[in-house]
Amino acid sequence: MVCDRETLEKFCEFHEKAYRNVVQKFEYWKRATGVSWKEYLKELVENAYTGCWAKEIAESLLKNTDE
Amino acid sequence: MVLKKNGMDTLMGKHTLIITEKPDAAKRIAKALDKQGKPEKIRENGVPYFVANRDRELVIVPALGHLYTIVHERGKRNYYPVFNFRWAPRHLAERGAKVIRNWIETFSKLSFDADEFISACDYDIEGSLIGYCVLKYACGNKENSAKRMKFSTLMETELEKAYEQPLPHLDFALIEAGRTRHEVDWIYGINLSRALTLAAHRWSSRYCTLSTGRVQGPTLQFLAKREKVIRSFVPIPYWQINAEAEILNSVIEAEYEKKRTGMKEADEIVRACAGKTGEVIKINVRKIHQKPPIPFDVGTLQREAYSLFSYTPRRTMVIAQRLYIDALISYPRTNSQKLPPIIDYKKILNSLKRKRAYKKLASKLLEKKELKPREGAKEDPAHPAVYPTGNLPEKPLGIAEKRILDLIVRRFMAVFGEEAIKESLKVHLDVNGHRFFLRGRTILKEGWMEYYETYVRAEEVLLPSIEEGDEVRLRQVIREDKFTSPPSRYNPGSLLKKMEKLGIGTKATRSEIIQTLYNRGYVKDDRIMVTELGLGVIDVLGKYAPIVTSAKLTQELEDKMEQIRKNNVKRETVLTEVIEQLKPQLGRFKENEEPIGKVLTQAINRRRTQERMVGKCPNCGTGNLMIIYSRKTRKRFIGCSNYFKGICRTSFPLPQRGTVKPVGNNCKACGWPQVLVWMRGRCPWRLCFNPDCPLKKSRRKKP
Repeated sequence: MVCDRETLEKFCEFHEKAYRNVVQKFEYWKRATGVSWKEYLKELVENAYTGCWAKEIAESLLKNTDE
Repeated sequence: MVLKKNGMDTLMGKHTLIITEKPDAAKRIAKALDKQGKPEKIRENGVPYFVANRDRELVIVPALGHLYTIVHERGKRNYYPVFNFRWAPRHLAERGAKVIRNWIETFSKLSFDADEFISACDYDIEGSLIGYCVLKYACGNKENSAKRMKFSTLMETELEKAYEQPLPHLDFALIEAGRTRHEVDWIYGINLSRALTLAAHRWSSRYCTLSTGRVQGPTLQFLAKREKVIRSFVPIPYWQINAEAEILNSVIEAEYEKKRTGMKEADEIVRACAGKTGEVIKINVRKIHQKPPIPFDVGTLQREAYSLFSYTPRRTMVIAQRLYIDALISYPRTNSQKLPPIIDYKKILNSLKRKRAYKKLASKLLEKKELKPREGAKEDPAHPAVYPTGNLPEKPLGIAEKRILDLIVRRFMAVFGEEAIKESLKVHLDVNGHRFFLRGRTILKEGWMEYYETYVRAEEVLLPSIEEGDEVRLRQVIREDKFTSPPSRYNPGSLLKKMEKLGIGTKATRSEIIQTLYNRGYVKDDRIMVTELGLGVIDVLGKYAPIVTSAKLTQELEDKMEQIRKNNVKRETVLTEVIEQLKPQLGRFKENEEPIGKVLTQAINRRRTQERMVGKCPNCGTGNLMIIYSRKTRKRFIGCSNYFKGICRTSFPLPQRGTVKPVGNNCKACGWPQVLVWMRGRCPWRLCFNPDCPLKKSRRKKP
């Protein structure tokens, strides 16, 4: 749960789209820089261009990866 | 004949009643029509009006914009759908409009002895409707016998001509289109706004005004669409090569042939080219002929003022209206990009010559054999494009007014200018098998740019003399790590352009709609950001009444309004269609009031939280600093959101008087979040709550 909106499966409608974006773009990052999934998520959290919903998703996924 | 003492009782005999849209316009019209240019001003119950003598006695009475509006026929405010309405005086419908009663009474009394009626309101939909309502309701059905003055500037000569040769009757088709527009907007606005507000109220038991409308909905819809893309955006890395070339002791930026490269490729290019000398293999020279700009219609004026001075479209409109009332420019609410010769270019330029700043430029234009403006495609049957009258200001203008007037004057002169000629130079460099470009730009002939100089952004980049086969050393080659960026946010100027492109709203209403979105809290900031509340409203409308957020529907309605204006469609037909379209949408709203109320309440709460959020907590780094109101002490302070998790106890005091709002950016000196404090009688100030802020320390040191 990253927000209080009604969830579809894991996330709400808006965060679901951001989640799909985060997963989809990892391939580009991997090819271009060779980063791991965790490094990628960290980069997204720190990047100024990352949208706030995508950032919330990255933070949440990072937390789950740590656990 | 006028006796000077007791206002209305002083008028003797029959007179002509002239209705204007605003008091300032009445003053100017009265002055122009009075034989001696000295009309008598009378004030009755706080309503100013003017008595002028010409061929007969003229009584010029101003309205205050719309004196009549649409109201729900039977009173209660807590249900929908409502489709029964009537036109009524504004003071019966709006709080704070009490003064309208005096205005209507004045019109009624003065119409009693009038035997001729003329509407001299602005010649557009709204102006025609204002005059019609006053004639019909306040003067007792005089709309059919009234004449119409048509003018585009408030200059004496034009007003006199408009009075001497009035149109024989009101433009009823235009009025019908105006009435329909108001009625359709009312039906949409009241029903959808009530549906939203009541759903949220019934779910949360807390009242919050929510609104939407025929134009507001689609506008918010495309703002929200972009907002969602920005919020879900994931950047992708790419690399760019930046280089500096050294030619005859000057350093010039060079660009690599590919705008984007991969990381490894970029490193290889840097290794291959840094410090190396290349050869000029080709030079492309291109001449660019740039035509003069087209005259201002209202939209282009608003956009230009936004891009040059950051004035919102609404502000520009208010300023332009003031300039029009002062007879300094022509009617600004125009769609036209044409300047017909009838406005007399030479006369205007001769008048402009009287001002030192324009003397040289206007004289230069007057020397031309023929004055032919470059015109755009858009036309307006009622008014030409915006142009200066050439009059000099009678009173000192404010900075904003000066700027807009200067912009209009220079644009007017520029459209008569010759085309500008620029030369663009592209030098191809080969360095170790890689291609770089050097670019130069020079202006060969200023043309129209001379007149519009202050407002043209044309930077010249001069390249030293260079020939094919010359050697050039790349002084520096670096790899720059970059990321793709999200689509840019709309600003009030680009939003206006988008609305024009989609054909939603009118030249007169677009800027007001944008302002309403801000006032309702659906959007914020100059680079428009849709708030949680705005997203919530669009979410609900999209699910339960998608038709009202569609730009297509509002475009179709605009077309129908145009058809009414051309007498092709009847008002009743359009209204019936609108009601039939809206009924099922409102039915769905009623059936789903509970989920709608829940979504809206959550959105309202999120917006309230967003409004209280000051920034990241500088102590724990994970929580957010919020403005918190203590239920116990009834005082406000700044506290960390992690307090309730038992992680962080950071808190700061806040002033208890005045209004406190997060600024949105951090203190320049220490990087802590700050708030803006407004207190009556004092200038607002930024408050950084870091006790050790270097700025505070430096202030304390000062005696």
